[in-house]
Amino acid sequence: MRIEEKIKGGKLVSIEVSDGRVVRITGDFFAHPEELIGLIENELSKIDPKIGEENIANALEKIVKRENGEMIGISPTDLARIFLKAIE
Amino acid sequence: MKWRVIDYTENNAHMNMAIDEAVSEYVAKGGPPTIRFYGWKPSAVSIGYFQSLEREVDIKKCDSENVDFVRRRTGGGAVYHDNKGEITYSVIAKEEIFPKDIIASYKVICSWIINALKSLEIESEFKPINDIIAGGKKISGNAQTRRKGVLLQHGTILYSLDLEKMFSLLKVSDEKIRDKMIVSSKERVTCVTNFGNIERDRLYRAMLAEFSKGKEVFFDSLSKEEIDMAIELEKKYKSKEWNCLK
Repeated sequence: MRIEEKIKGGKLVSIEVSDGRVVRITGDFFAHPEELIGLIENELSKIDPKIGEENIANALEKIVKRENGEMIGISPTDLARIFLKAIE
Repeated sequence: MKWRVIDYTENNAHMNMAIDEAVSEYVAKGGPPTIRFYGWKPSAVSIGYFQSLEREVDIKKCDSENVDFVRRRTGGGAVYHDNKGEITYSVIAKEEIFPKDIIASYKVICSWIINALKSLEIESEFKPINDIIAGGKKISGNAQTRRKGVLLQHGTILYSLDLEKMFSLLKVSDEKIRDKMIVSSKERVTCVTNFGNIERDRLYRAMLAEFSKGKEVFFDSLSKEEIDMAIELEKKYKSKEWNCLK
């Protein structure tokens, strides 16, 4: 399922979760290094959704910090929320 | 610190993106901070790094209209770059020259555009995250990335608008929405020619003056190293692997 959302004060983001939990994040947001989004897609492909939005957001935040990355127009909380909608 | 200015040139979309990346590599290796102005020949659509090409661009229409399409290294949205309808710039320099805060650094470079428009008696302002608005409507879009300690910001200043052509190339689900989007964009987007009879070259001269202001600048062309690298990188920007990445 694909869920698209325009983040308030931010950018458009779309998360598509397909069979076998392939996660694809697209949109007009900014992130650097650009590889950050691939790492987040990979994390979401194996994360247990039962841990809840806050814990998923924390896991994504850890990746952002580890990679010394930055996202503009979206946040780990936005991605966690939209991911849970897309996986429903 | 001396800034290199590369005068306006027109290239195809793939070469434009290849040159921006080649200059970024050159700057990472110690090359001078660089300001470059360019146009798109033929006209082109560029999409943000994280966008889906198939969802954003009508590739068949682009092919039939001889319009290039390319994925940028930077995020942001899809942009139609009309050959005569805009001027594009890139600023490529070591990160430490600019504020660490991304929005603050957008603001610094966007202030050069705002001053250029002001010199043409067009009042505009920075609208976070990455736009400049005049009369409440978008007149300039900008995109930035940072890699290997180098900041690359490129952006466009809209000189004239052909919304019908723009929306024929960008994908919209059906005609009703397309019409609505054209009307809505007319309310949201503007261009320099809406503010008077200003020649495109005058806009360019104003940008050149304001981007150079307060800096020690020298005009130069790309080095042989950059040209060779750009020729190699152009293959990547033409490739299906790159453009269909998402």
